[in-house]
Amino acid sequence: MLRFLLARLGGTLAVLAIVAVMVFALTRLASGDPIALLLGDQATAEDIAQARVQYGLDKPLLTQFGYWIKEVAQGNLGQSIFLQRPVTQALAERAEPTFFLATFAVTIAALIGIPCGLIAAVWRGRLVDQVFSAVAMLGASVPSFWMGLILIQIFAVWLGWFPASGYGDPGVPFIERLHHLVLPATVLGMLNSALIIRFTRASVLDILNEDYVRTARSKGLSERVVILKHVLRNALVPIVTVLGLTLALMIGGAVVTETVFNLPGVGNLVVRAVLRRDYPVIQGTLLVIAAIYVLINLAIDLIYMIVDPRIRV
Amino acid sequence: MPALSLRKWISRILSLSALAVPLAAPVQAAPTAANLAMIAEPQTLDPMGTTADLVGTIMQHVYEPLYTFDAKWNVVPMLADGLPKVSKDGLTHTIALRKGVKFHNGREMVADDVVASLQRWMEVSPRGKSVAKEVASIEAKGPNTVELKLKTPYAPLLAQLALPTGMAAILAKETIAPQLKDFIGTGPYKFKERKPDQYTLLTRFEGYASRKEPASGYAGKREALIEELRFVPVPNANTRVEGTLSGQFDYADLLPVESIGRLDKAGASVVPIMTTSFGFPYLVFNTKEGVLASQPLRQAVQMAFGPGEMMAAAFGDTRFFTIEPNHFPQGTPFYSTAGADKYNQRNASAAKDMAAKAGYNGQPVRILASRQYEFHYNMALVMAEQLKRTGIKTELQIVDWATLVQRRNDPKLWDIYVTHSGQFPEPMLSPPQLSEGAPGWWSSPAKQAALSAFNQEMDPAKRGALWGKVQQVVYDEVPYVNVGKFNGLSARAQRLQGYTPAAWPFFWNTTVAAK
Repeated sequence: MLRFLLARLGGTLAVLAIVAVMVFALTRLASGDPIALLLGDQATAEDIAQARVQYGLDKPLLTQFGYWIKEVAQGNLGQSIFLQRPVTQALAERAEPTFFLATFAVTIAALIGIPCGLIAAVWRGRLVDQVFSAVAMLGASVPSFWMGLILIQIFAVWLGWFPASGYGDPGVPFIERLHHLVLPATVLGMLNSALIIRFTRASVLDILNEDYVRTARSKGLSERVVILKHVLRNALVPIVTVLGLTLALMIGGAVVTETVFNLPGVGNLVVRAVLRRDYPVIQGTLLVIAAIYVLINLAIDLIYMIVDPRIRV
Repeated sequence: MPALSLRKWISRILSLSALAVPLAAPVQAAPTAANLAMIAEPQTLDPMGTTADLVGTIMQHVYEPLYTFDAKWNVVPMLADGLPKVSKDGLTHTIALRKGVKFHNGREMVADDVVASLQRWMEVSPRGKSVAKEVASIEAKGPNTVELKLKTPYAPLLAQLALPTGMAAILAKETIAPQLKDFIGTGPYKFKERKPDQYTLLTRFEGYASRKEPASGYAGKREALIEELRFVPVPNANTRVEGTLSGQFDYADLLPVESIGRLDKAGASVVPIMTTSFGFPYLVFNTKEGVLASQPLRQAVQMAFGPGEMMAAAFGDTRFFTIEPNHFPQGTPFYSTAGADKYNQRNASAAKDMAAKAGYNGQPVRILASRQYEFHYNMALVMAEQLKRTGIKTELQIVDWATLVQRRNDPKLWDIYVTHSGQFPEPMLSPPQLSEGAPGWWSSPAKQAALSAFNQEMDPAKRGALWGKVQQVVYDEVPYVNVGKFNGLSARAQRLQGYTPAAWPFFWNTTVAAK
């Protein structure tokens, strides 16, 4: 187990090193100048050149990369050009809405997806199966910005039940912030539940044909015990994988949903940084997202071992 | 499995989804706070650091200049006690300061603060740097007087000192640094907190010393009637519209013109605001390199253009734009029809002849535009078609805004780029092509002669006539084409009262009723 963990952590570091090089290179290969944007229309070429020196952007790329890597190794992701604060602070400020949005959305996706997938599998070929499968297909096809705008129109503009956007006024209690997350989390949860429904259905159908399920039924166990204890538990491995990856993707930023609902999350931070060419923010954030993604993958592998003892090394 | 179990399953799912219901209460905002949806996060809070409108809009509540504009775009005093005393040769401006004006840290403003602030402005502000070329010295003459000496007479000085963008803001001297950390000004609101991409918070400054004159435009009496201003960045235009319709925002800036129908139908709770002559789109020509370095060919292109079609494609609804050759609206000091015969010709055959005479040999005209502003893109499409009609080849380069602002600084990369500007009260404030060195690199004896006469004439009445000569040179040499004028659309909640539409929206003298 320890060897497995050490090997995976070594792999994680290698992946992050590759990501760091690629992120830096791609960021700088893209055209665009943050300083010209920062200074505005009246700035002359001389003004821009002068400011580039101030931000160290006049140095050769290798020098800039070396400096950045050195800082990253010391836990410093750099200073945002536009936000006038360290990237770590900007990320920390975005972590809360993104974390709660992702958790809220994955919970909704699981609460809808697992029962529906289970029901669709158990009543395979019946009307309920067809309805859930159609819903899953629809959910996978609907663009999140469209669903977001529809929910805003109905629940914010017409009914006034939820705020249309944002993460709450300054100083509002935490419950009010969660209130702002209901609509975006519902959008993400509903869209991702489509995937969960399909995975759960397929996984449960596989398990239902296993010998031990037949044995359990022949022992006279109630159908509820057979489904919940023998089928669902064994079907959970692929579902946990999908849920974990969904969570990782959302923590990396549900870019479109955060944009539509103007949530100050990680996705929004990355998008705005890309549009502004805020290099330190793009580099730092993508590196952290990659680290989270790799670590969640590692966590999923560990959960496999707990859920399915056969996987243990 | 029995049917009853299925119903149980469904009822369990429904009961779980019902958890959201207790949270579904209407949002309540503090009665003395206003939520103001802006188009983006400000690039910086340093009022001098950029000429971006958004920074000026927010920070004009915190910082004040020596002069400002009244409702008729006249320059009037703000922190200065009155208009400056100007020596007969037009070189020395003696500026008396108001007494009893306090900074947000409680200290009284004195001449040393003004001198230090203006010196910083001339060092860091793109606008200030251009003024610095004209200034010989600035010094304090006693605690409440500043003397500014020019190298040559420079008529736009007061307008430059009055503009809220790239502002010649008066800062508390002790806070002055290359990177501002404390935002201490004299305005009716003081800076409280900034959470990037969430809000910039300003709170009422209780010690504010207001002018006594009646409010007029940005001038006169300023009163912070709302306790807290929350500038919320909402870059997605649809989100700004929905947030306004749902009552979340008390004000929403720069809404898409397509939303006017929905705002009109929203009932009494939302008030659409149209700001006339809000700005002008303009097409900058590369006069330094490439196919359009040829002035006769630029004239041919101008002959081919139909600004009417471009504005229609850009803004759709005729309530939102006007097609007119005068660069400044009728009724303003700089209204002139000079060069009008060259505007909106849309004459393909004449343009073709002119292009042939100019020696056009089929090189593509590279049009640089961005979809950051959808109307830029729409105009670029129409422009390309109008040029094709005359046999001029085009190459559309549609890039994001960050790329455009970089590429336009390289004369090898483009021939025309699409941009826009706010409609400012003084010609020398925009477009930057009227100065030397801006992308386009327009420089000619006729330009220098016309602008020199215009900038050195201190009599406002004569300056109006002299602007006509500059406008004529612009039509003759075609360094840029001023396409027309567009109106801005924004909206406010009914409960936000006393708001005066302005190019840089301000919220002093404005109240907000409880929801």
